[in-house]
Amino acid sequence: MKIEIKDLVHEYLPGMRALDGVNLTLDGTAPVAIIGQNGAGKTTLVKHFDGILRPTSGQVLLDGHDINERSCAQWSAHVGYVFQNPDNQLFLESVRHELEFGPRQLGVSEAAIAKRVERVAKLVGLSRKLDVNPADLTPAEKKFCAIGSVLTMKPEVVIFDEPTCGQDLAGNARLERIIRALRKSGRLCITISHDVKFVCKCFERVVVMCHGRVLVEGSVEEVFSQPELLKQSYVIPAPVTRVASAAGMNKVVFDVDSLIEGVKAERSS
Amino acid sequence: MDSIIKVDDFSFRYRDAKRCAVRHLDFEVPEGGFLCVVGPNGSGKSTLCNALVGLVPHHFNGKGRGSVRVLGQKVADQTIAQISCNVGFVFQNPFNQLSYTAGTVAEELAYGLGNHGVPRDEMVRRIEQIAGPLHLEGLLDRNPLELSGGQIQRVALGSTLIMNPRVLVLDECTTQLDPLGSEEIFDIVKKLNEDGMTVVMVDHDMERVARCADHVLALSRGNQVAFGTPEEVFGDPALEEHGVDIPDYVRISRTLEDEGLASGPVTLTEGACAERVGKALGR
Repeated sequence: MKIEIKDLVHEYLPGMRALDGVNLTLDGTAPVAIIGQNGAGKTTLVKHFDGILRPTSGQVLLDGHDINERSCAQWSAHVGYVFQNPDNQLFLESVRHELEFGPRQLGVSEAAIAKRVERVAKLVGLSRKLDVNPADLTPAEKKFCAIGSVLTMKPEVVIFDEPTCGQDLAGNARLERIIRALRKSGRLCITISHDVKFVCKCFERVVVMCHGRVLVEGSVEEVFSQPELLKQSYVIPAPVTRVASAAGMNKVVFDVDSLIEGVKAERSS
Repeated sequence: MDSIIKVDDFSFRYRDAKRCAVRHLDFEVPEGGFLCVVGPNGSGKSTLCNALVGLVPHHFNGKGRGSVRVLGQKVADQTIAQISCNVGFVFQNPFNQLSYTAGTVAEELAYGLGNHGVPRDEMVRRIEQIAGPLHLEGLLDRNPLELSGGQIQRVALGSTLIMNPRVLVLDECTTQLDPLGSEEIFDIVKKLNEDGMTVVMVDHDMERVARCADHVLALSRGNQVAFGTPEEVFGDPALEEHGVDIPDYVRISRTLEDEGLASGPVTLTEGACAERVGKALGR
């Protein structure tokens, strides 16, 4: 699905612009990370992608259709949104019911729902917890339950809001697998994150927001090779990137392996 | 230096739980110390925090063994109210910390003071004192429930710090904040520690842990897998086998050594690590 954002402005109160003229096109299946300081407009922006919020002015087009043409419920079949706080998303008495709820609202057959639940539960690591009440899950498991409840709807676009919040190494590795699986199945994953290490590892395209506008966008390399610009949105490059820069390495690196490769290459040149 | 926290062979199993949440924890923190608790989810970090502030065993019931002493007193022998006079706790989820009775941020900050009978003039003075460093000055008249996640997290921290606790326990209290906001909170905590406050902090940001902690406690599946200085704990190559993350600075210096590019003890800060990389580059 192609998402086109044209001169998007959003005011929660008259005159108070949370978005101040955003222009952006998101297309293809390369996962996109949206980063920036608290209050930069990241969540406000993505809430326009499924119609939770409507533009004060400007346009949001999904595959050429104006967001205002359909209700949020109608768009939810195409765009899935996983909230930052899973407690805002989970309301049923078991993980299984949570995973079944969305596709059932879409009229998917019970047999197909059962298959989807089995596959998604495995992907999000909750196969053994299907009969558990979501309230009894750990905070990290609740996040995966909320993710699962969106994935069973098979939306073309999946939005994660701060998915690494409260996750450990294993949780982050599982998120990485989910993002890879989404790409493999041809779906666009858009993720809001403060976790620069995670962004550099899992995403190809990065959009940096600042004061309601897009400060810079491009590949991970393009964006993180501009640390002075990123400071405007309080974004700090990953520790590995900072170390390489402070050591005077010629190459911008994002993980330990690339740093070591870079050291070897510079030693031999 | 005397220990302000003494955990002696402490184990705890929640009521109806099949296994212990923590097993045989045994460590001490000196007054003015900065202990970071690390480990994967479900390793017992929050249970330990709850045990330090008395929520375990007074609020969360279960079966315990061994003891947790804070300021020389067994936590199990005191009420939560008594413990709260000396120990402040900032919850992982700030929404669990709000009183839900305060109409404004100022009232929320003053809630604990009111319960302790602090006079109004003193309340106002302390609110003003705490609002500045936490960037809450412009929010004092706002309803706490209308704030952003990051702002609520600052209010939660403020409502704890305003009580001037001798021990501050922080359970992943910066998860809602952007990196700079998170660093600002951390700088405040670090300053309080330098002024003598004992800090126990659960954190997933290993680079920050390495930079700031004087002691690190690593937990895995309820067991204490390492306790010592950051150099000792992160210098142990077996730590990652327990699912405990390590700082990238350590990973870099260790890989440089393994590859024969530069040797030396593990590096714990950006500066030291950059210097080691520079050495590997022949600079």
